Amino acid sequence: MWLRLRNQNKQQAYQYDKVAQEGIYGTIERDLHANIEKVRNITGNSADIVIRHFLLGKEDNLLSALCFVSGMVDENMVQQLFIEASVQLSFPSMCCDQLDYIEKKIATANTTRRVKQWNDVFSLLMSGESILFIHGMQEAISIAVKGGEYRAITEPSTQLSIRGPREGFTESLATNVAMVRRRIQHPHVWVEAITVGEVTHTNVRIMYIKGIADDSIVEEVRNRLQRICMDGVLESGYIEQLIEDETFTTFPTIYHTERPDSVAANLLEGRVAIFVEGTPFVLIAPAVFIQFFQAVEDYYARFDIATALRFLRILVFFISLVAPSLYIAATTFHQEMIPTSLVIAIAAQRESVPFPAFVEAVIMEVTFEILREAGVRLPRTVGQAVSIVGALVIGQAAVEAGFVSSVMVIVVSITAIASFATPSFAIAVSARLIRFLLMVLAALFGFYGILIGLIWMTIHLCSLRSFGVPYMTPLAPLIPTNLRDTFVRFPLWALTDRPHGIAEETNIVRQGDEQRPKPNQEMRREGDEN
Amino acid sequence: MERARISARQLFMLAILFEHGSAMVIPLGVDAKQDVWLAILCGMVFGGGLLFVYYRLFTYYPNLPFTSYSQRIVGSFFGKVLALIYVLYFLYISARVLRDFGELLLTFAYPETPLFILNAVMMLTVMYAVYKGIEVIARASQLFFFSLYWILMLGFVLIIIAGEIDVRRLQPILEEGWSHIFHVVFTQTLYVPFGELVVFTMIFPYLQREEKVWKAGFLALLLSGINLAMIMGMNVAVLGADIVSRSTFPLLNTIQEIRVANFLERLDVLFMIALIVGGFFKVGVFFYAGVIGVADLFALKEYQRLVYPLGISVLFLSLAIASNFAEHIKEGLRIVTIYMHVPLQMIIPIFLLLIAMVKHQKKERKGR
Repeated sequence: MWLRLRNQNKQQAYQYDKVAQEGIYGTIERDLHANIEKVRNITGNSADIVIRHFLLGKEDNLLSALCFVSGMVDENMVQQLFIEASVQLSFPSMCCDQLDYIEKKIATANTTRRVKQWNDVFSLLMSGESILFIHGMQEAISIAVKGGEYRAITEPSTQLSIRGPREGFTESLATNVAMVRRRIQHPHVWVEAITVGEVTHTNVRIMYIKGIADDSIVEEVRNRLQRICMDGVLESGYIEQLIEDETFTTFPTIYHTERPDSVAANLLEGRVAIFVEGTPFVLIAPAVFIQFFQAVEDYYARFDIATALRFLRILVFFISLVAPSLYIAATTFHQEMIPTSLVIAIAAQRESVPFPAFVEAVIMEVTFEILREAGVRLPRTVGQAVSIVGALVIGQAAVEAGFVSSVMVIVVSITAIASFATPSFAIAVSARLIRFLLMVLAALFGFYGILIGLIWMTIHLCSLRSFGVPYMTPLAPLIPTNLRDTFVRFPLWALTDRPHGIAEETNIVRQGDEQRPKPNQEMRREGDEN
Repeated sequence: MERARISARQLFMLAILFEHGSAMVIPLGVDAKQDVWLAILCGMVFGGGLLFVYYRLFTYYPNLPFTSYSQRIVGSFFGKVLALIYVLYFLYISARVLRDFGELLLTFAYPETPLFILNAVMMLTVMYAVYKGIEVIARASQLFFFSLYWILMLGFVLIIIAGEIDVRRLQPILEEGWSHIFHVVFTQTLYVPFGELVVFTMIFPYLQREEKVWKAGFLALLLSGINLAMIMGMNVAVLGADIVSRSTFPLLNTIQEIRVANFLERLDVLFMIALIVGGFFKVGVFFYAGVIGVADLFALKEYQRLVYPLGISVLFLSLAIASNFAEHIKEGLRIVTIYMHVPLQMIIPIFLLLIAMVKHQKKERKGR
């Protein structure tokens, strides 16, 4: 149906390519002024394009011009370049190829590249390199002086940890890639470059460990990225939505993170990371359901507490999913299942409430969602005011006004706290949406409705795939060795295999035999004798 | 046939859920009184024989579902007639189970909700699952297998803690002798749930490794037989043979007996989870076999197109097959067993197996 609708609206084919690149084809001319004129023309004489004419070389015999986009280059490097080019550069009398000589000379300080096509000139210019045009030459030299201001590396704001590295990704692609590479210093960490977006020309990097990542999955990621053909890709969220397996689901099938250590850990498990220029969120594929309940910190803490926390997170997910619907079902259909004293207490409170439990629950849940949404977008100082108002409105006034029962307030707050305790925001969001569906089902059919809703959800989860990997791996299909790192986290020395079904099967063992610590018995100090 | 592959482990879990399905909650073989567990175990042993027949048939045609190889065995025309009968049987049984399920839900929790609504909600879920295919059903079975097992264990532990079990209620053993037990076995427990494994003749060909079919199927049969015997034995030990034989849902009554620490009581929701999950898989497997059978019989490429029309038919059939619950139960015990279960689960498969054996022997001789 969607396809049909889309095709009906489609009156013309996507042709940005044609329109935009008109006049960009062709090669550089000999005449410097013509070239500069062309740059001016194509860029619409934009104010941030700097064109500086100068005479090249000590002997001042070559008229040339340097073009760059201000703000995207390192000003110091450009300054250096000018000094080098105009003051220090001197041509030997018996010059063979002047251009080659200039390039080599400047290359002592920067990476250079010779370009001929206008196409390349503009893509390099726009990516932050400077282009050196020389009068009388049919080629230009592009000099890598990329720079400009980026946000400094700070602590990630979404995935905090108590123990673990404090640095998070920034908006700079190169910095992000380097941060991961610093963690895995192996030549088999391969990085592929792809440009996505017909207008934005966004740089994207695919990173994986050759030999650990499954080649077919890498190939699939590459293909899906190359398929993208649209104006712009501004954040990794665009890419996520364009390459995921299933659009019509509330569950995320691609993981995203702001933490370099998380990316490194996932690469070591054979997954593929996708970096996008201009965003601190790195995508990781394939992602499985259970992954959204794992935090990198689980591996830094000892296994007992990590296991306990994982159980807690699963519990929390279920609470945030079903708590309000259980309340609705129990008070509307199954009063007999609540212990007598409790049911009397609830009934006494609900006596003054004018709404059925479902309406009551919906009012409170929606109020809470409004408060949360208001709090998220507001400046921090105003946000506090909102939360105070919210606490008063939800907490007391609503109950005192006889609007809702205080049990409902408890249920809503438990749900809210539970949904904040879910480690991944993406999965908490899907629980948030499904919660309302379950509330409707509970209002219609009681526990039966909730169970049917959960069966629907389970079937749906089982039908999902992420880059060919079933979403519920390793639970369904069941892979016993992988279960060591799902609900429970076995001690590190027991996690002998990389995840089956994701990593390359021929090279699945990730640690040597007998990694279990065995303290030397003779090392024991005889403490008792003292 | 759909292009799908399931593993032996998935088949095992799917078969277990299927066997437990409604058999867990209905009064299964209660005519045997306190020996009901024995009747179930015997049913399991003979059910093993039937499973062996289905398995042998499968080994002759490892890539074909029942509806295809019936045509190979007895010729195109009779084979198609046979396949049609089986397909109708599967769909009819799925409607029956759906009705069972709806009636159970109606009597114990939703007396004022129309049966149609309860059945429709369930059927929609089943249709969704079948639409997604056997792989998804198999994967879901792995998830539900563990949840169901945990719930059963929990219930079992709670009953023991509550101190409700009195083993003397299981005595005297063999009060009315073996003949009575075999009577119950051959009129009831052999066919439901063990003989119903005939529906898996439609699912065996999806298995990744065919040599594992026997192991997975046999283990599933064994485990579910023991479990069911334990559940019914437990019911008798808690309630006494007399109440169990008169009860509509012995398991529910047993669970309602649980009272621990003045807090854990009225755990009907446990029963409900078992009922809904079990019912879902039983209806689902029968319906899937029916749909796949029709698609196979009429050579349809996409079986998904059949899910909605057939699903709605099954839904209405579930309402139309009987005017009330008593009639429905009576039909199940008197008519369906004799005219459907016995010929379709036992006689025809054995007959087909004999013909297939003769044919293959001939072929082998020719080959020499």
